[in-house]
Amino acid sequence: MADEFPFEISPMFEGERIRKEGMHVELAGPKSKGFELVRAADMNDVEDGRFTLIGPDLQDMEEGSRYPFAMIYKIAGELVETDLESIVERRNHEFQNYIQGMMHLNQRDDVWIRVGKEAVSKGLNSFEHIAKAVMMLFKNELPFIEKVEAIYITDMDEIEKEIENTREVYKARDERTRGLHDEDVDTFYGCTLCASFAPTNVCVVTPDRISLCGAINWFDGRAAAKVDPEGPQFAIPKGELLDAESGEYSGVNEFAKKLSSGEYDRIKLHSFMEYPHTSCGCFEVVGFYIPEVDGIGWVDRDFAGTAPNGLQFSTMAGQTGGGKQVVGFLGVGVNYFRSPKFIQADGGWNRVVWMPKMLKDKVFQDMPEDIREKIATEDDAKDIDSLRNFLKEKNHPILERWVEEEVEEEVEEAPAKTQAASQAGSATPQMMQMPANFMPSMPMMGSGSGGVRIILKNAKVTVDKITILKEE
Amino acid sequence: MARIIAVTGKGGTGKTATSALLIRHLAKGDKVVLAVDADPDTNLPETLGCEVSKTIGDIKEFMHSERDNLPPDSNKESVLKSKLYEIIEEMPKYDLLVMGRPEGAGCYCYVNNLLRGIMDKLVDNYDILIIDAEAGLEHFSRRIFRKVDDLIVVTDGSRRGLRTAERIRELVDEMETDVSNIYVIANKVTETNHEIISSTAKELGLELIGMIPVDEMLISKDLAGEPLFELPDNSAAVREVEKITAKLGL
Repeated sequence: MADEFPFEISPMFEGERIRKEGMHVELAGPKSKGFELVRAADMNDVEDGRFTLIGPDLQDMEEGSRYPFAMIYKIAGELVETDLESIVERRNHEFQNYIQGMMHLNQRDDVWIRVGKEAVSKGLNSFEHIAKAVMMLFKNELPFIEKVEAIYITDMDEIEKEIENTREVYKARDERTRGLHDEDVDTFYGCTLCASFAPTNVCVVTPDRISLCGAINWFDGRAAAKVDPEGPQFAIPKGELLDAESGEYSGVNEFAKKLSSGEYDRIKLHSFMEYPHTSCGCFEVVGFYIPEVDGIGWVDRDFAGTAPNGLQFSTMAGQTGGGKQVVGFLGVGVNYFRSPKFIQADGGWNRVVWMPKMLKDKVFQDMPEDIREKIATEDDAKDIDSLRNFLKEKNHPILERWVEEEVEEEVEEAPAKTQAASQAGSATPQMMQMPANFMPSMPMMGSGSGGVRIILKNAKVTVDKITILKEE
Repeated sequence: MARIIAVTGKGGTGKTATSALLIRHLAKGDKVVLAVDADPDTNLPETLGCEVSKTIGDIKEFMHSERDNLPPDSNKESVLKSKLYEIIEEMPKYDLLVMGRPEGAGCYCYVNNLLRGIMDKLVDNYDILIIDAEAGLEHFSRRIFRKVDDLIVVTDGSRRGLRTAERIRELVDEMETDVSNIYVIANKVTETNHEIISSTAKELGLELIGMIPVDEMLISKDLAGEPLFELPDNSAAVREVEKITAKLGL
């Protein structure tokens, strides 16, 4: 079938680079304009196999020249729907690269194409060849496409007329994509890029949870796992939903066990206090529980100052990193602040009391409106006392959590002040000294600097009697 | 498969000049060459006589700062590849790529991982790579290039210079990147130090494949800040590099 084309078609040509010297014509790209667009249409509106060209054809283009270029494909079929448009559109990149002597880069309105001299000399003299080859591949590889037609444009005025509408389509698509949530998919993705220095790290990437480093979203995981399922990003079937609020899934728990070599067997994706996600060392932001106000503060890598708990990012990162599950601290990617499930097991944004101004500004528009002015920054609070006053003054929702402790708080006022003054040294002992009633949901500081942790692996233990005494 | 030749050495020994002369020679043949400046103190472009506005460092920074603004389902590998192709300077007979500044704070594991995959495929489009690399061989330890066929250490005539070559050989043993051959080129060689250099190299077990003499023409081009690409064919340095390329089978 491929014989009808004046070029070979094979995945073998995918990595082919066409240099300026070997190029007949450059289409779209950084120095011109263009786009690619796939639209789902009604069966009656698509004439299968039809090709329309608006503007000059390849044979009219001088060697070494540059033209604007747009490719529109209309697809139809019983199973074709709008949601499939972007997936089909992505394949245009792949298919055009299968064509020997053609280089297709990037996507959407950033496409950049070169057609090689050699291909032209072998007879590739019309865009019709290219369009027909791509349409053939669409129908062969994506059988749900029953009809397809192509419209290519090489005329600048026409492209400029179309490009704004096209960008609207992209925008609407992005909005739909952002509306994808954990419950809408059956597969999450894991990543082991950090495994060399955080061997027990279990990085789980879901539509509502970006990787800790902030670099890999669910779509990146999907793309990588598809190309190389054994690579650093791979699929995690999410399994059974065990708890929607905290984001606990049986599939994630199974992978946690496997990836951490048995160190952890439960991970709740949207929980801070209970079985939180492990923290690698690459995280952009670290969250820290502030027992004195029962709230959570966040500090990012770029903030060089000291958080109200008396610690800097680097110190907390050191304590949290290495692939550990550390109750009281949590590493996240900045984009997680934009997640609708952001630490929802612990009250979400209503639990957040402090963050550096730069970080707050970055996510300001994504915060619920009523909380925006109630979260302190380094300009409002540098220590626990000023933080507590700020929260009271702004009537932060965290105050509701204080009500039952209000009475005791009066009594504790004096020692709390002393601690605040001495916090510059180390905050950890200070946390350990905190009155227990200030830590309503802190089961145990598992941060490695207090308490005892015993891990038994494959152990059989027989004990007649155990006595545990309180230390006097 | 492209043959990957990395040129390294202590600062000031003339490794960039040597790289430029190798590229100058190759550009006259029919092989397609990719020149890579992998020294953060970028001066290969100037030595070759071309201008480079953007580096791999810049596009890594772009990927880092723009990642949340890109369409959520965009294929980042494809975006990064396009950005990389945009910064390749296309000269007659060769392409030039500049690695540029080191990474900022934050995690670049993912971008570097994508970059490794893209570079692997890009390299296949060339017959020969000439990489001007800093002595620490950082881009090799990060495995941006998976293998090196010939590692050429450029040294001056001093014993210390040759010791550096020895240390680089040790460094190579510790790296994960496969290095098939290690050669030494002595640069700025005079009649007086000629003998000593050969005997020291032999003593240290280093394979000396060339001795580039002090070349007045090269020195004056360097002083004037003019590209070495324009050196005439009868320059002493050019003639010695021709001999070296013959030994390397280029």
